[in-house]
Amino acid sequence: MLAEIASNLSLGLSVAASPEGFLFLVIGAFLGMIVGLFPGFGPAAGIAVLIPMTFGLQPTIAIIMLAGIYYGSMYGGTITSILINTPGESATVASTIDGYPLAQKGRAGPALVMQAIASFFGGTVGVVLITALAPSLANFAASFGPSEYFLIIAVGLLMLTTMMGDNKFKGFISALIGFAVGTVGVDVMSGQQRFTFGSPELIGGVYFVAVAIGLFGIGELLHCVFKGQHRQPAKRLRISFRDKEFWPSKEDYYQSRWTFWRGSGIGFIAGVLPGSGATLGSIIGYSVEKKVAKDPEKFGKGEMRGLVAPEAANNAASAGAMVPLLSLGIPGSGATAVLLGAFLMWGLQPGPLLIVNDPEFVWGLIASMYLGNMILIAMSIFAIPLFVKFLDVPYVNVVPVIVLLCIIGAFAINASIIETWILVVSGLIGFAMKRYGYSPAATVLALVLGSMAEETFLQSYIISQGTMSLFWERPVSLVLFIVLLSIVVLPLVLTLLNRSKNAREGVSNGA
Amino acid sequence: MIMRRSLTLLAAAAAVASTMSIPAQAEEYPSERLTYTIAFGPGGGNDRMSRTVVDILRKYDLYPGNIVVENREGGSGAVGFSYVAGKAGDPYRLTSTSGNFIGTPLVADTNWTYADFTPIGLLASDAMLLVVRSDSDFGDVDAFVDAAKAGRVTIAGSGSAGPERVTASLFAQAAGIEFEYVPIGSGGELVTALTSGSVDAVVANPSEVAGQLDAGTLKALAFSDSARSTNNPDVPTFMELGYDFSFSLPRGVVMPNDLEPAAQDWWVATLKKVIETPEWQEYLAKNGMSGNPIWGEDFATYLAATSAQYRDTLVKIGAIQQ
Repeated sequence: MLAEIASNLSLGLSVAASPEGFLFLVIGAFLGMIVGLFPGFGPAAGIAVLIPMTFGLQPTIAIIMLAGIYYGSMYGGTITSILINTPGESATVASTIDGYPLAQKGRAGPALVMQAIASFFGGTVGVVLITALAPSLANFAASFGPSEYFLIIAVGLLMLTTMMGDNKFKGFISALIGFAVGTVGVDVMSGQQRFTFGSPELIGGVYFVAVAIGLFGIGELLHCVFKGQHRQPAKRLRISFRDKEFWPSKEDYYQSRWTFWRGSGIGFIAGVLPGSGATLGSIIGYSVEKKVAKDPEKFGKGEMRGLVAPEAANNAASAGAMVPLLSLGIPGSGATAVLLGAFLMWGLQPGPLLIVNDPEFVWGLIASMYLGNMILIAMSIFAIPLFVKFLDVPYVNVVPVIVLLCIIGAFAINASIIETWILVVSGLIGFAMKRYGYSPAATVLALVLGSMAEETFLQSYIISQGTMSLFWERPVSLVLFIVLLSIVVLPLVLTLLNRSKNAREGVSNGA
Repeated sequence: MIMRRSLTLLAAAAAVASTMSIPAQAEEYPSERLTYTIAFGPGGGNDRMSRTVVDILRKYDLYPGNIVVENREGGSGAVGFSYVAGKAGDPYRLTSTSGNFIGTPLVADTNWTYADFTPIGLLASDAMLLVVRSDSDFGDVDAFVDAAKAGRVTIAGSGSAGPERVTASLFAQAAGIEFEYVPIGSGGELVTALTSGSVDAVVANPSEVAGQLDAGTLKALAFSDSARSTNNPDVPTFMELGYDFSFSLPRGVVMPNDLEPAAQDWWVATLKKVIETPEWQEYLAKNGMSGNPIWGEDFATYLAATSAQYRDTLVKIGAIQQ
């Protein structure tokens, strides 16, 4: 089996490492980082716009470049999460929770380096797993029906509680706001319109990107202005490669040595499942990290592990999402759906036969992902001083630029003025949430996951004739159901046990 | 997107410059920049068809001026089609139709219907396959019908009131069976709902299941067009099997209302050239569509008939009121 993998990879490298392949891989990775940097301009739109540029190329080279845009955007997307608290897509929301506080503590350099390393680690572990396991994983993804999706989304929703900050009550309110906004749009079961107020632009629901940019980006700006940050002179952060301040400390590496592995593993599994893989992966990665930590109170206040876990996870997930795409022809996200469109345009039909009919294409693509991740980590680290320079700019000048970027970003998605208003209103709400200690992350993630949970639950309900028996009759569902139950019940049981133990000790002490 | 904006600006600047230099006079049609609006996001079926048409127009120099392509996504086509319908009288606006062009005005409160557009041509029709797992007990449609008569069957399709549901309902009506319809959001989850054994069958667009059909993990029982598809010639149509219905969706091109007849004629003639090209034939083959083109007013009649058939089904299943 190892010999087979080696021969497959050398076939792939002969395609990917050709001068032409390498050149377009670098172009793709670079464009991906740029695309990731612009809030609102995600990989799906980036790939779609650039498809016409690839018409003169050989199909494999073209797809290598487009795939570079896809996973490259995961590297770029986090940079805005860390520097200006504005996640460009739902998969990098979890990275703001500790990433932005790190930058505020003056550790922007180490945070950016660490996110590049975590991205590289996650991405590479993901590709290694694809190389070794792709065929058997495809069958795993194919066994996921509505009931399994609902249960895994429910696990993700439960994990949200770890991201809500210290005040759980306010956290729940934040999530409920997200669920409420998620009900806008056409009801998938009856086709009835809900809360669209006759506006055709709301039929498809409230698009989370405008909400996320508003809640995080605009909300944060308003809050900083409210605190008077714009009146303070800019802090001079002179950072170069020679500074010790630029690199993560030994402690950072040592503390997160297992975080890399956990995040990558969780992210990859989540990515293999079509749906919101990278988002779920980053949430679950973050929560697990916080749960296993001996010092969970440090999370949310600028803890390196809280950044490494979701970053390793979302990059491993973007690699994992290639498994159902290549082996089943099933796109797991908007970006992979556009990639699927590009495959078809080149006459490549993703499905179980792709790897048999076009081995050079499949292995060329996989090999290019190894190289692509190496190019991206080098590019990210070299570019960091540039990005960090941005923090030198006096805040009073930064505010209008970011507001402009956010508004252009929100408008450009669909050229929709309604979405631009949604951004503005979300910005005001985001400010209030920040001011009074609510959790914008919980709101955005509940918005993304809530409508998916509703759909898959109702589908399962119809299939099992309204009995819900589907959730424990199917083997995979049963396993997930037990996991779900234990997440809810175990902590309760443990608390009760502790209490009775304490009570008994109390009695014996008293006696 | 940013690139598109700047292109638009450049083109607008060029247009201003040209109108300033040339005094207003009755010019030959077409003489200006053309805007091709896609009412859906990049990468989808409508987007692929529209961009194929534009690429052919450019490659063979069939259109003398610049062509700008823009995606105006939102509300299952409601936003983009509403935008084009609002350009009545502008002969430099084109858009592509697909299932939602008929379906969305029926289920949602839009300010337009198919009648608010000038029909140019139906370039291809997009029909649906009834698909089951290869290892299931359903060897053919009759076996499926028998199972439905003996017990309960579930059929999944994209969306609650989309063309998949209409196809499934027309089939059930023709076969005299009942079934439970499971609406599923996207193509990928639709396929795994079937492969995971959650549902008995799915109604799907041929391109959504092509990979699985080639590999033999899924099996197509019947095709909803009136003639067999060139891509799956072994799959019989429902009509051949004695289930008397056919349903397909228009992949066509329309323009805003209130145009000079000359503009309509020019585009009918031009698109007739487009569908002759090898690139168009390749597009049809890759996407599993059949090309039985219909032009001008015949296309309008076809749109009216399809809309009525769609509407009847939606009323029957209770998705819309009379």
